[in-house]
Amino acid sequence: MLSYTLRRLMAVIPTILILIVICFFLMRLAPGGPFTSERPLPPAVMKNVLERYGLDEPLYVQLWTYVKNIIIAFDFGPSFSQKDRSVNDLIAQGFPVTLTYGFFSAVFVLVMGIPLGMIAALRHNSFWDYVMTGLAIFSQIFPNFVLAPLMVLLFTLALGLLPGGGWNGGQWQYVIMPAVALGTSYMASVARLTRGSLLEVLNAPYIRTARAKGLSERTILIRHAMKPTLLPVISYMAPVFVYMITGSVFIDIFFSTGGIGQNFIDAAYTRDYSVILGLAILYSVLTFVLTLIVDLVYAWIDPKVRSGLK
Amino acid sequence: MKTKKIMNSPEFAEAVAEDMLESRSFWADARKRFFKNRMAVVSMSLLFCLALFAIFGHQFSKWTYEEIDWSILGKVKTHGQPSIENGHYFGVDELGRDLYARVVQGSRVSLLVGFVSGILAVMIGASMGAIAGYYGGRIDQVIMGAYNITLSIPYIIFFVVWQAFFGRSLEQMIMVLVIVNWTAGLLIVRGQVQTLKNREFVDAARMLGLSDFKIIFKHILPNMLWVITIYMSIVIPEMIMMESLVSFLGVGIQEPNTSWGALISEGAKTMTFGTIWQLAFPAACFVIAQVSLYYIGDGLRDALDPKERA
Repeated sequence: MLSYTLRRLMAVIPTILILIVICFFLMRLAPGGPFTSERPLPPAVMKNVLERYGLDEPLYVQLWTYVKNIIIAFDFGPSFSQKDRSVNDLIAQGFPVTLTYGFFSAVFVLVMGIPLGMIAALRHNSFWDYVMTGLAIFSQIFPNFVLAPLMVLLFTLALGLLPGGGWNGGQWQYVIMPAVALGTSYMASVARLTRGSLLEVLNAPYIRTARAKGLSERTILIRHAMKPTLLPVISYMAPVFVYMITGSVFIDIFFSTGGIGQNFIDAAYTRDYSVILGLAILYSVLTFVLTLIVDLVYAWIDPKVRSGLK
Repeated sequence: MKTKKIMNSPEFAEAVAEDMLESRSFWADARKRFFKNRMAVVSMSLLFCLALFAIFGHQFSKWTYEEIDWSILGKVKTHGQPSIENGHYFGVDELGRDLYARVVQGSRVSLLVGFVSGILAVMIGASMGAIAGYYGGRIDQVIMGAYNITLSIPYIIFFVVWQAFFGRSLEQMIMVLVIVNWTAGLLIVRGQVQTLKNREFVDAARMLGLSDFKIIFKHILPNMLWVITIYMSIVIPEMIMMESLVSFLGVGIQEPNTSWGALISEGAKTMTFGTIWQLAFPAACFVIAQVSLYYIGDGLRDALDPKERA
């Protein structure tokens, strides 16, 4: 298990390096830079600015300094568009926000999705089952960028219950809507997956054996059916996390939470190389780490996979 | 079965023979099953109407999508509602442009981008999957490596970087969507080809001296047209969704051109002022498209999937 974890972590490093190199060249090759504006700077000033940020050196030197600084000092360099702020500052400021509602969103997905799917499976073809089917279609039709405005329309403008944006230090009223808007469609997918999985498990012969032994339905569900039901759900969580990271960019912008998504889009507009690169690395590392965690949890639950990981 | 009641009559034999001939074709069979599915047929006609609206909608509008109605500008809230008299059937947007014309234009862009990039992406994914499955070995490893890397990068990063640096035209949009989604359908086609390539007809084709290219594209891929069709029905709504999300973030199609996502985003920004129609009409179009594509996909799956075939 440990060696497997280490091996996976080792594989992440070259992938990240490749990503850095691709992003780096992609941005440098594109026309325009962080200091090209409508009114061009005087050549002397331009030269000083470029020198200050090390942009006058050959590309490979820039790339080397960049990677070296990250490895040695964990320093992602200064922001080009926001003076006197480093990429580290921006991340330190915005990332906790995104992480907070992202965490609650993931909790919402699992705590709502799994029980809902289970109820739908246990009461097959009942009211709850139809609620779930409806929810699944609903989530397909209303992705977060349609759902979020509608939620604001309902809860802020019509009912006046929740604030329509902002963060306010993470008070709970401000966290609810971002978390729910981010998670709803995945919650529906998790519920649908749980339902299908549990229905299949309940038809398995060993459940029949357990019933024949005279175990109560609850014991069967918790001790025998739970684990195999959750396996596909857990492996589905890896892409869900990736999509949630993606979706958080949108949530940050729509709800003005002050999370890193806003910085990311701003940086793209102003061609703030270092911020884009830093955030792209952050997003990717996050993706890899979450995928790894999901894989490890999966291995931990599924003995078949666990024994294969030597 | 269109038969006469008398079982011994020649007409009956003829009808039976005809029936058997007909049902021998997989596609005729599938078509029959698809058109029996009422939701799918209704959705098909809805989507057809939406396409007609997008293609011919301009004919009925008194304004173009970039023209500003100066008489309404500034008093959008009071004079900008939908009305038949002044020719703004859907009202006007925040800048006094005719919303009807803009929704028509947005539908054009969204549908065009969704369908073109969806079809292209699946074609590339299927070809790559077929090549990986057919050759195996080193080629397979390279393609699968690229597949895994693509899946593990949150697409929004790539998207935003690309859009911000290489301009925001329609072609760029389609290109980046295809690049991000080139893996669509790859895995399933690869798996299918791995089993198909050992079948006799492939041996026969090889024996005849056909090139690998011809074998893959003329003999193997046509056998998987059903997988490809199902995948397209899944990918196209996803593409429309992605395009809309990116336009919502403000890095999509360049103004004054527009798309559903951009229109929804504008509407969401101004809904606090009470100009709810600016959100309602584009959101309704988006929802109609997503609902109908969902049910068409559902119908296609039922009609084409061999597992569903009794």
